[in-house]
Amino acid sequence: MAEFSWDVRSPLERALIAGPYGAQGDSGVALTEIRNFDLVQVMARRGKAGEMIAAAKARFGVAAPETPKAIGTSDASLIWSGPDQFLVLSKGGKHSIEALAPVFAGSASLSDQSHARALISVSGDKARAMLAKLSSIDLHSDVFGVGAAAATSMDHTSVTLWRGADRNGQAVFNLLVFATFAESLWHTILDSTAEYGVTIGHSEEF
Amino acid sequence: MRITCPFCGERELGEFTYLGDAKPQRPSADAGEDAVYDYVYLRDNIAGVMSEHWYHGGGCRAWLKVTRNTLTHEISAVEAAAGAGAAKVGA
Repeated sequence: MAEFSWDVRSPLERALIAGPYGAQGDSGVALTEIRNFDLVQVMARRGKAGEMIAAAKARFGVAAPETPKAIGTSDASLIWSGPDQFLVLSKGGKHSIEALAPVFAGSASLSDQSHARALISVSGDKARAMLAKLSSIDLHSDVFGVGAAAATSMDHTSVTLWRGADRNGQAVFNLLVFATFAESLWHTILDSTAEYGVTIGHSEEF
Repeated sequence: MRITCPFCGERELGEFTYLGDAKPQRPSADAGEDAVYDYVYLRDNIAGVMSEHWYHGGGCRAWLKVTRNTLTHEISAVEAAAGAGAAKVGA
């Protein structure tokens, strides 16, 4: 039998060139790809939404989101992705699919999405202005505050978008996009952000 | 046109896909050929208020039942179709 050697690489490895891009001077946007995370899709089985939510509470200490929002715990984020379903985003294997399987046994079906999505973090004082070119939803702080989430589309590509905790007093938007669409969306983001000047990087930290 | 998804809120048309008339119900197994032919092929072309299935594929991926006036595009009701949020159906 053939031996396979899997080389885990980011779907943005070719497209992402760290450093400054676009307009010179102070960059208005910071684009950071987050690599090496655990992502598990949790979907309630028929009639078992209540049990799934209770199981999540027992595991994470917080109820699973039942409306479009992202709930952060000390070591995981629970992100709404649709009715009776959410994503568990974490790192280090503590909440990997193997770890979560016994937690949701009987109440929900799990699917490992760790290598199926790219995670892009957008911040900076022009972050919202840039995202407004791509998204039709209102991202103003009054409407889309910290912890708000949305399953929506950008450039005809499905994304899971949520607002994380502010950093240095500025909003941080997180985007999960299908791995095979990540490069396409990345180029669209670069086009949108070039006028503001952008600092590109990647990180293993959320 | 915008549709207010019961799960996501108001969204642009581009996030949705149209399926068609939500009225036809699958006939019972012994209903006969005419009833099945009607269910599969025959559709009313309604000028006015109509019940339709829409799919929120660019968002939460739920099927919706939308009551829409085909003359004015006015949407008077949106609800989750049977099976959307499957965990609650038959609970």
